Amino acid sequence: MGTVTLTHYILLASVLFGLGIIGFVTRRNALILFMSVELMLNAVNLMLVAFSRFRADLSGQVMVLFIYTVAAAEVAVGLALLISLFRHVRTVDINNFNILKG
Amino acid sequence: MDIYFWVFAVMAVGAGVFMISSKDPLPSALGLLTVFIALASLYLHLNAPLVAIFQVTIYAGAILVLVVFVIMLLMTPGERLGEVQRNVSYRIMGAILGLCATTLIGLGLKGVYDLVGERSLPEGFGSPNQFGELFFRNFLLHFEVASVLLLVALIGAIYIAKKKV
Repeated sequence: MGTVTLTHYILLASVLFGLGIIGFVTRRNALILFMSVELMLNAVNLMLVAFSRFRADLSGQVMVLFIYTVAAAEVAVGLALLISLFRHVRTVDINNFNILKG
Repeated sequence: MDIYFWVFAVMAVGAGVFMISSKDPLPSALGLLTVFIALASLYLHLNAPLVAIFQVTIYAGAILVLVVFVIMLLMTPGERLGEVQRNVSYRIMGAILGLCATTLIGLGLKGVYDLVGERSLPEGFGSPNQFGELFFRNFLLHFEVASVLLLVALIGAIYIAKKKV
């Protein structure tokens, strides 16, 4: 199979990112949409760490830490919004989230 | 140690496919957890032990617990949970996850630096020392901004999820 190079990691991260996108556009459950976003963020993290390793530049790892912070904030606010929305419509199916419809 | 990469890459992609194809959000969360653990193992392979630790504590620890709590909160209790627990794929995922975590701990004990072998990297690359040096010297402002962001998210999340807004 040869040695593992940066290309392998880029391909793996791309596949994971693609899975996240597919999950995000095909699923109707708001919780699974959230998890798909997390999957995409993780794919980006993997790419950053892989570049950091193969270019011998530690800044990529620091950037991953900031992505962790943003992801934590995003999940906290997003899930709070979801709970608040659930009180109104009693479902997590995004097809029923149409209260902003004109 | 190419087999190390392939095992965890296949594990991550398989768990990702399981995650987006699972009908119920709870097995989906388990698939996501498996992706997190597999990626943490790959970070160890990439000379990023600190990022691997953060991956497990922040993602697999904090974020996923929050997601699972909300799933439990929003799903109708009782019959849904029992249905999930009887699900065979859920058990298989649990077994894979346990295997993965055990492998991770075993390899961590064995010493990841022995596994990746000699490569032209500066001395101590990716060590917590060097990481902290870079983090608190070049990225101090970013660090402070991130802490403000976390505070705002904390207040915002409590305010939004409160019963009476």
